[in-house]
Amino acid sequence: MFSKKKNGGEGEKKAGLGTILKGVLYGMASHGNVTAALRTRMHLEHLFMFITLGDMLGIPVLPPYYSLRILPYAVPNIESWKQRVFRERDFTDAIY
Amino acid sequence: MSTPFWFVLLALIAYGIAFWGYGKWYDRTVWKPDPNRTTPAHMYTDGVEYFPVSKYVLWGYQYKSVAALGPILGPFIALNYGWAPALAWIILGNFFIGWLQDYGAIMVSIRNQGRSFGPITYEFTGAGGRSTLLGFILFYLVIISATFIQLIATFWNIFPGSFFATLGIIVTGVVVGQLMYKVKMGVGATTLIAFVLMIISFWLGTIPAFQWKLPFGAWNHATWALIVAAILWVASVLPLPTFIQPFNYVSFFPAFLAVIFILLGALLSPATGVTLAQPAWKGFTSPAGPMWPMMFVAIACGSISGWHSLVGSSSTSKQLDIETDAHPVGAGAMLSEGLLALASLAAYMVLSPQQIADLKNSSVGAWVFGATLLTKWLPFSDAALRVFYGTVLVIYAITVQALVTRFWRLVSAEVFGQSPLAQKHVSTFIGLLIPWVLAVSGTWNNIWLYFGGSNQLLAGLALMLITIHLARVKSPSIYTLIPATFMIVTTLSALLFQTWVFLQAAMAGPKATKVMEPLKSAAPAVANALDWVSVLIGLALFVLGIRMAVLTYQAYGRAVSGAMPQPTTVSGDD
Repeated sequence: MFSKKKNGGEGEKKAGLGTILKGVLYGMASHGNVTAALRTRMHLEHLFMFITLGDMLGIPVLPPYYSLRILPYAVPNIESWKQRVFRERDFTDAIY
Repeated sequence: MSTPFWFVLLALIAYGIAFWGYGKWYDRTVWKPDPNRTTPAHMYTDGVEYFPVSKYVLWGYQYKSVAALGPILGPFIALNYGWAPALAWIILGNFFIGWLQDYGAIMVSIRNQGRSFGPITYEFTGAGGRSTLLGFILFYLVIISATFIQLIATFWNIFPGSFFATLGIIVTGVVVGQLMYKVKMGVGATTLIAFVLMIISFWLGTIPAFQWKLPFGAWNHATWALIVAAILWVASVLPLPTFIQPFNYVSFFPAFLAVIFILLGALLSPATGVTLAQPAWKGFTSPAGPMWPMMFVAIACGSISGWHSLVGSSSTSKQLDIETDAHPVGAGAMLSEGLLALASLAAYMVLSPQQIADLKNSSVGAWVFGATLLTKWLPFSDAALRVFYGTVLVIYAITVQALVTRFWRLVSAEVFGQSPLAQKHVSTFIGLLIPWVLAVSGTWNNIWLYFGGSNQLLAGLALMLITIHLARVKSPSIYTLIPATFMIVTTLSALLFQTWVFLQAAMAGPKATKVMEPLKSAAPAVANALDWVSVLIGLALFVLGIRMAVLTYQAYGRAVSGAMPQPTTVSGDD
């Protein structure tokens, strides 16, 4: 349901009526729920990353030995985690 | 012109011109969206808040997020001046102001790295501006909550069957949540079960044994309001997937079915023989006050709404695939909501003044009876249709109000920091107690006009933020400056007028109180004190609004003179 286009514009095909209706229905009924579920997962992942890699932010929660054992599994998430944690957040971001 | 059909047709033509004519021209002249320019959804993709989504999905999401009770119940107060001015404002407000704000809010956010209005206000007007906005939003949330709690309580009081139906749908939501998240049942099967449970809920609502009436006489309304507050409390403190999420999901189906029914009813009116029964013009003044400014705030979200700009800049802008999608999503959703306002106006217009008087001038009662009359061709009894439409109103109110109560919690945490007032249960209690007191004591029109005033003022301020951005990047800003100024002047005047109404009542003593029964007779001193509270709320909204207006006009001056720095460009920008 999410867009497959990289950056729209050229090569964009006109959607059929079925695709449009499906998209609109999904948007009205479920998109908010899906994004809310994603945010819930994000908060849980933040917690996990803080516990395992907290020393990256100067908060050693878990002894470095265990952090190092988990590191290979956490590496793919480090970049997006740092991006989300350090992103400017405001009360007006929390409406939906 | 004696059936609602013509008005829906006229609005469809006007909105078509607004979207494809004025809208496209404005787009080419002012925003110049570029499909090859990288949007925040691609720039900051994290798969959670920033990710590209199809414009059809976003249109559905934006429309569902902005369409609530404002456009449904607002036209009732506007009917005090006759249907002609109400119709004119719904069409012209959408045409020249409403969609410009929704679309502009999304575009401003996109051109400022997908940031929401809080940080944008900070950048344009400084820390003072952001604090003022925060304070204004706190009062705004109190007023929204009071309005919606009062509406639900009023409806349960008038149509007792709808309480059981609502309860049934709440239980359906909770069951659906458990089936989806705990049992891991598929969406299709869960939805089917939800449909069956909802039909049973509506059916039970029509059975006399389930049409529960409270035994407290004059205090019934206050007690219903307490029950509403209790439900909202549960909704606010429980995890999202347990209550709000599944409830919103199951509520979507009856809520939008009702809108489709009414629109079809208006379009089929020449065949069904339903005609207009309200006068086109009643006069410049009414019990709600003079037509200007009061009518322009009464039709809350039907012409323009500040809530839309918060939604557009908070989430939609972060998921827009390409810039050219902003127009169908932002402008399209607003114009569609204009249609909802129009359908609601049609529902009121087919009832005669005598029929409305028989319903004790209740807007919720009038909407339900009007909608039932418009859709008599459906194969259901009048009683069943009344329970259906009534419950739909309650559903609209609860889904929005549950989110508003949660949002209050988050804003409280921001404002009160480490203080006990920021604690989850304490802030929820306060966030429901104040609106409950207002809902129980205030008269319907007065609270609604505060709600409309603050909501439309927020829209005016959002238009000013859009104008500042346009002036800063040397794009034509006059097309948003004029609507912004009109909205700010109109809404501040409306808030001042309404405050003056409460002040007169407060100064005249308990006999002239605006507080309704039974509090009015049972505790006159308390009623008088509550009039003063209403004065203070009105003054607070007015002062905060004036301060925001001054700060935004000063910022606009800096933007025009070139004293404001250009927005930060990121890779992929021009």
